[in-house]
Amino acid sequence: MPRRSDLEHKALQFISRTSDEGVLQVDLWHQLKASSREGSRIAIKLENKGFIRRERELFGGRWTYRLYPKKEPVSIISIKNCPCLICSDSIRCGAYGAISPNVCERLTTWAINLIHEKKSVPGDP
Amino acid sequence: MVNDETLVKVAETLGEEDAVEIILTLKDAGEITDDQIANETGIRLNFVRKILYKLYDHSIVSLRRSRDQETGWFIFHWKLQPDQVEGFILGQKRNVLGKLNTRLSYENNHDFYYCGTPGCKRTPFEEAVETLFKCPTCDKPMNHFDNREVVEVLSEKVTQLRKELGEESAAL
Repeated sequence: MPRRSDLEHKALQFISRTSDEGVLQVDLWHQLKASSREGSRIAIKLENKGFIRRERELFGGRWTYRLYPKKEPVSIISIKNCPCLICSDSIRCGAYGAISPNVCERLTTWAINLIHEKKSVPGDP
Repeated sequence: MVNDETLVKVAETLGEEDAVEIILTLKDAGEITDDQIANETGIRLNFVRKILYKLYDHSIVSLRRSRDQETGWFIFHWKLQPDQVEGFILGQKRNVLGKLNTRLSYENNHDFYYCGTPGCKRTPFEEAVETLFKCPTCDKPMNHFDNREVVEVLSEKVTQLRKELGEESAAL
């Protein structure tokens, strides 16, 4: 049997993907092959942690909940190619040090690449 | 919480293609030993361990140690901690934001001169005066370099990161 935290993670991933449409609680547990008892407990837990919001909905003559993601999943895309991310000098790098973002050529190249990318996007002024 | 796509991107950032395979194996396996990962992925054991320790340094994987009853050697059991990935990404974003802020303020407060030769560096005014506006690398004359575009992209990135970190109000 999968552990509760694993199910929680899977459930949250699934709910995150539904964005504005949300997902019916009953559909989600079918998808994750969990029992409804286990499912509703996880939904409450996720709601208490502030990850999702639950809204009551009448479905097939029975009351259930529709689950909506509350938080955008964290993404690394905005910094993915930034040289500071994997820089081995990061700890020693500071404004007044010998190694500094001010004179870092890798950072300059990255900024210039960003300018080129921006220029190559059609319709972008 | 992060999705699988982000997990893969973090792995790519930290340790090339092999790290992606290792993270995907860890994700499916729950708890697994380094030996098993090497067997499943075909990646050399020492490289598997190197990547695992790198991931461990960032708390993306956890480690449990047990002793082999027959040989007496330690066995290391590894487990992916997807919950920690969010903290790792946010920490990295804060770090990058700090560096970009420093650079942005430097770009805003300096005038640059450049010879136009690929591979040569831009020189701030104070240093360009000392070399009589000649490039210290190729000796060609340097002209004023308009850094407005650099300032613009850096400002945009700083704003984007502040927004992602929920620091918009602090920036105002």
